Amino acid sequence: MILQTIGLTKNFGGLTAVSNVDIQVEEGQIVGIIGPNGAGKTTLFNLITGSLRPTAGKVVFQGKDITGTKPHVVASLGIGRSFQLNPLFAEFTVLQNVAASFYLHPKSSLIDAFFGTSKYRRNEAYIWEKALEILELLGLDKVEQELAKNLPQGYRKMLGIARVLATNPKLLLLDEPLGGMSLGEIQFTMGVLKKIRESGVTILLVEHNMQIMDIVDRVFVINFGRKIAAGTIDEIRNNKDVIEAYFGADQHAT
Amino acid sequence: MSGQGIEIIINALMLSSMYILVASGFALVLNIMGILNFAHGALYMVGGYVCYQLGVIYGINLWLSLLLAAAAMALFGLFLERFCFRPFYGDFFNSTIVSIALILIFQTTVNLTMGDHVRSLPPFVAGMFKHGGVSISWDRLATGAIGVGLLGILTLYIRKSKMGQQMLAVAQDSVGAELQGIRIHRVAAIAMGLGCALATVAGSFMGAIFDLTPFMGDLILVRVIQLVILSGIGSIGGVLIGGLVIGALDSILPLYVTPSIAQTLGLAVVIAVLLIRPRGLFGREVG
Amino acid sequence: MERNMSHQRGFSIVPRRQAYAYLAGLVILALLPVFMKTLYSYHIFILTFVYIIATSSLRTLATSGQISMCHAAFMSIGAYGSALLARDAGWSPWLTMPLGALGTMVVAVLIGFPFARVRAIYFSMVSLFFGMGIISVNQIFGKYTGHIGGMIGIPPLFASSKVPYYYFFLGLTAFSLLVLWRFETCRIGVCLKAINQSHEVAASVGISEMKFRVVAQGVSCFIVGLAGAGYAHYNTVISYSSFDLLASIYLIVYMIVGGIGSFGGPIIGTAILFVLPELFRGLKEFTPYLFATIILVVVFLMRDGIVSLGGKIKSLSVRSS
Repeated sequence: MILQTIGLTKNFGGLTAVSNVDIQVEEGQIVGIIGPNGAGKTTLFNLITGSLRPTAGKVVFQGKDITGTKPHVVASLGIGRSFQLNPLFAEFTVLQNVAASFYLHPKSSLIDAFFGTSKYRRNEAYIWEKALEILELLGLDKVEQELAKNLPQGYRKMLGIARVLATNPKLLLLDEPLGGMSLGEIQFTMGVLKKIRESGVTILLVEHNMQIMDIVDRVFVINFGRKIAAGTIDEIRNNKDVIEAYFGADQHAT
Repeated sequence: MSGQGIEIIINALMLSSMYILVASGFALVLNIMGILNFAHGALYMVGGYVCYQLGVIYGINLWLSLLLAAAAMALFGLFLERFCFRPFYGDFFNSTIVSIALILIFQTTVNLTMGDHVRSLPPFVAGMFKHGGVSISWDRLATGAIGVGLLGILTLYIRKSKMGQQMLAVAQDSVGAELQGIRIHRVAAIAMGLGCALATVAGSFMGAIFDLTPFMGDLILVRVIQLVILSGIGSIGGVLIGGLVIGALDSILPLYVTPSIAQTLGLAVVIAVLLIRPRGLFGREVG
Repeated sequence: MERNMSHQRGFSIVPRRQAYAYLAGLVILALLPVFMKTLYSYHIFILTFVYIIATSSLRTLATSGQISMCHAAFMSIGAYGSALLARDAGWSPWLTMPLGALGTMVVAVLIGFPFARVRAIYFSMVSLFFGMGIISVNQIFGKYTGHIGGMIGIPPLFASSKVPYYYFFLGLTAFSLLVLWRFETCRIGVCLKAINQSHEVAASVGISEMKFRVVAQGVSCFIVGLAGAGYAHYNTVISYSSFDLLASIYLIVYMIVGGIGSFGGPIIGTAILFVLPELFRGLKEFTPYLFATIILVVVFLMRDGIVSLGGKIKSLSVRSS
């Protein structure tokens, strides 16, 4: 198990955003977290990556307790994360966005960087080469010189994924990776996610769009901050609580 | 309580009320327009000089001069909002620079026309109040009383009047307020005008108790910024409490430690508060 | 769609042409003394050099998105530190100047840690009060630092004339600008700009905001401390009134008027705002008006500072052709 949360809870004053959530993610899988809007899915991500401190509970990554660790340290441990509203380095080009994200690997010290040692120059050359490769993987190489702020929504999401791949993560946390994409872009992205899984990276994603079900191995359903179901897609599809959560208690299956 | 103790309290109240009058204008502009008007101290200074010009040079009755000066400066405030600050709502840096330019213009103009020697307004109320061991000038007493009274009126105005409510609404959430049909520019203009009028009153009173110099705005600006930031961005009512604290510190501390140490302590406290609680004692989260 | 200026694959922001311009400027400035007649013109150039260093270092910190309102106070730490060591401990100014700069950097890094936890206007406010605090502390130790009259008798760097000072400060400016330029264009500067654009995204790729802001503050304040120390040994008299809140704000004004977005912005802003009033020295009392006018013109008409004027003229001429 590469990631596990145990009894994760977050209270904001009187509001409980996440309540006693246990999830388990096996290595090499694509795991989905689904649930209605406002169910607490992004908060869950924030708790895992350390942007928020949990009120209670633990986060265990590769056997180590990382609860409450700061986001930049979590990143260095091998967890990469994309964001739902997709902030980017707006004034950098697409290529620069990815190149800037190669901070962790390969690592140059500040001294190396400032004095431009040969180690630094070699690292930089490697970075630009690798950045281009990632862009090609995601089909963004044709817009490499565009400023990130000028990109249409679907491209931005892909840039978000490209950026996070630069950190060479073992676990990828993707927050609504298909958001704002056209049908063609969705198919393409899902293909990319499958390729990423094949390369050995585990993916945990939050998504609204049910098409993601085609590629996930396991699903957790969250509503009102609570885990209400877990299992494979087939198990979930027929789960009464899930149907109720999405369609309301008054709906009868026709 | 000793007579001297009462004097200290009256002085503290007087200073506090003056600081709060100036700080309220500054806080209104900060919360409604989202800018730090560094020129507010200079406006306080100009207001005092305008009153001097009317009262001493033209010989108009001093209280009337005060009213006329406040009115004139209020109009000037409307002008400033319209032509200097309107494009910069929420733009901290550009508005700071514009206010610097204004300080330069105000201070230089006053310095060139009236800065050749130190001037002072005559006391608004002459004589000394001596009773029960307390010996204090009527002017200080009256200033303190009027200051507190004005603050009471100001608080009532902001809480009860329609415009006051609109100001609070804009300060809380400018986008929401606009959606409700409140015209932000109008509210901002009135806030600025009101701020200038209050600063003028404070400047005139202080110019009577102390002296008028073209640079007196600098000192009060420092106090005002400390006060407003300590009370918190986003809070207009908190300014009252912050003002009492700073006024008290300013009248009491210098009796026990040197001014520089008092200043350093005051700054250290403000820095500590900001680091622990950036939104100040009463403010709300901004930005 | 807008295109990024550097069509190469890299982060470098100074294309070849600009580098040559800087070099040419350096050569011209080196040869200028041949034509300078009055001592006063040397003095103006020297002061301009000092302020260019200060404003440029302020901008380095600003690339991470934070505007410091106590930069002049840091300059005073370098100035007074070096002056005290040289005058009272008897050490050579050539030793005390880098020590003064080092001292400034130490203070900057120490407060940099708590200050890195606040952002934007809150950082500016905290820095404002800190700057005022430095001045108060200076006043508390007035016995050693001299009161408002100033600290006198600071050992000079050179015996008499201004010419060696001119070359010293020209060299110091070149050195400082080189350090700051390299800092900004190497990966460190990239990380600072990344933090500025989105500290969330930066953290998600492992960039620690605190680490980089502290480093930026350290380097920026080392440079400005050096400038302050140099100034102290040139002027031989310093007063804390030259390093107060207004002085810090002037640095910000120079920087924003010149253009905060480019490396050359502070240089141009300082040069114009410093030198222009000097050309009208006869009307000395009216120079604040000139200053205010320039500020208002730039703020209302040239939002991105004077440097953006070059780009605007270029785009205008492209359109009309």
